[in-house]
Amino acid sequence: MKRSYVPVILLLAVLMLNIIFTQYMVHQYFYEHYTNTIIAAVINVILFPIAFLIYKKGVNVND
Amino acid sequence: MAYKNNKIPFDEDNYTHNINRNNERKLDRRGFMKTLVGAAGVFAVSSLPWGAMAAKELAGLGDKKYPKHKITAVKSIAIGDAVDFAFPGEHDSAILIRLSENKYVAYQNACTHLRCPVFWKKDEGEMLCPCHHGKFDVETGAPIAGPPRRPLPEIHVKVENGAVYAVGVKRYEA
Ligand code: FES
Repeated sequence: MKRSYVPVILLLAVLMLNIIFTQYMVHQYFYEHYTNTIIAAVINVILFPIAFLIYKKGVNVND
Repeated sequence: MAYKNNKIPFDEDNYTHNINRNNERKLDRRGFMKTLVGAAGVFAVSSLPWGAMAAKELAGLGDKKYPKHKITAVKSIAIGDAVDFAFPGEHDSAILIRLSENKYVAYQNACTHLRCPVFWKKDEGEMLCPCHHGKFDVETGAPIAGPPRRPLPEIHVKVENGAVYAVGVKRYEA
């Protein structure tokens, strides 16, 4: 089967989001908007299982 | 006695000859995706302390608690007058100003320039530092003239049973 690079692209997108939310989180912390900080942190944490699922799907189907 | 023949068993310049993994030098698609997932994990884990710190601030644990301190009786301070007091420590001199019937403001009165005591100029309605003529806005403590660049630290006050109390110091904001 031809392997797919879609999961790779998705993972790169997830990583990009990670970077964005990390930066947002740190800035909101110093602006003392603590609720926003927590929201960004939670999103960052949730992105990890998402990345893992993408990886799982990606290797099983295509290798 | 141990016998030594001083011979090297075989010629080698590769000290990892016993480590063998297939394709160990190859970064394939799968390995790359593993790296990406790992990076996502690192981001997730490193977000946790920030979340925890933010939660702590939200829960109010970041504010230092000081025992409340009676400044003066309401009766003995007329509207437009000021009294000096010390809060939170006995050497942290501070000033309380009664702006109207129910509005009181208090600041730590060490000038944010070189710590001269700031006083309240009633007829001009501003706080003045005599040393280099720094002026502060009485409503907010913000510097409005002269050398000081940072606001005076505000003290939270509360009126209770006919007396004015200092209850806390506002967090310093850069
Ligand atoms: S110390 Fe207050 S203006 Fe210089």
